[in-house]
Amino acid sequence: MNYYELFGLEPNFNVDEKQLSDVFQRLQKSMHPDRFAHASSQEQLLAVQKSSMINDAYQTLKTPLKRAQYMLELRGVDMPDEQSTVKDTMFLMRQMELRELLDDVKHAANPDDALFAASQELDSEYQSLFSELQVQLAQQNDDANMAASEHLRKLKFYQKLQIELDRIEDQLFEL
Amino acid sequence: MAYSEKVIDHYENPRNVGSMDKNDPQVATGMVGAPACGDVMKLQLKITDEGIIEDAKFKTYGCGSAIASSSLVTEWVKGKSIEEAAEIKNTDISEELALPPVKIHCSILAEDAIKAAIEDYQAKQDTQKG
Repeated sequence: MNYYELFGLEPNFNVDEKQLSDVFQRLQKSMHPDRFAHASSQEQLLAVQKSSMINDAYQTLKTPLKRAQYMLELRGVDMPDEQSTVKDTMFLMRQMELRELLDDVKHAANPDDALFAASQELDSEYQSLFSELQVQLAQQNDDANMAASEHLRKLKFYQKLQIELDRIEDQLFEL
Repeated sequence: MAYSEKVIDHYENPRNVGSMDKNDPQVATGMVGAPACGDVMKLQLKITDEGIIEDAKFKTYGCGSAIASSSLVTEWVKGKSIEEAAEIKNTDISEELALPPVKIHCSILAEDAIKAAIEDYQAKQDTQKG
């Protein structure tokens, strides 16, 4: 049983977050240890395992990039290894520029504004890649799946940039 | 996780950090990135007409191991021919720096950066010849 089946959802990329969270609560309740207090130890063990699978499924389906990755896996797309190198020079040049932009934020005269501007820039580039990913995943053919897998790899760089930006924000304002 | 002394040395005193003019016909640029950690590495080689690497510069955004791997590579390739540089393996880098298994991909990135730079050089040579 895959995660979509477990949650009784159609295997689409776009999921209703409210519905997802409702199903999650319901499923977790049904596997709660209290309900198995008088069950056999084997049933208790099964409930624990099921509960852990429900958790994994929820985390995967809830997080867009994890969900995309999971969808591509379900479709049997042969994805490059996590560690395999990205060689798209234009993309990487842009990544360098964005890293430099984040460096500049640290030394900006007005860090608040610089932080906001950088965040907007990252967001808009992430969103445009992400919208393309949504279209690719909806097409469900080999070429689109391959393109989606490449987009997913690129989106991970933006995820990393976002983490970096959050770290800079923490440093600047010592939260 | 503890970094080895060599990693720390390269991280604190990185060799050959910087950029060269990527439009210079003698300069080859290799750009590579690793999605797993978001690291981005730029390696530039200045190559003589005889095919000898006379200078190397790098710029890397990433963890200590990624910076150390690229710094080490710039030291190693200087004075080498393109063919010799192409033979540098990620295992040579990871052994020299005593990288732990989770950081092996940093050395792979550095090896791929050399390869990407050499490809760029060859592409430039081809266009020059017309």
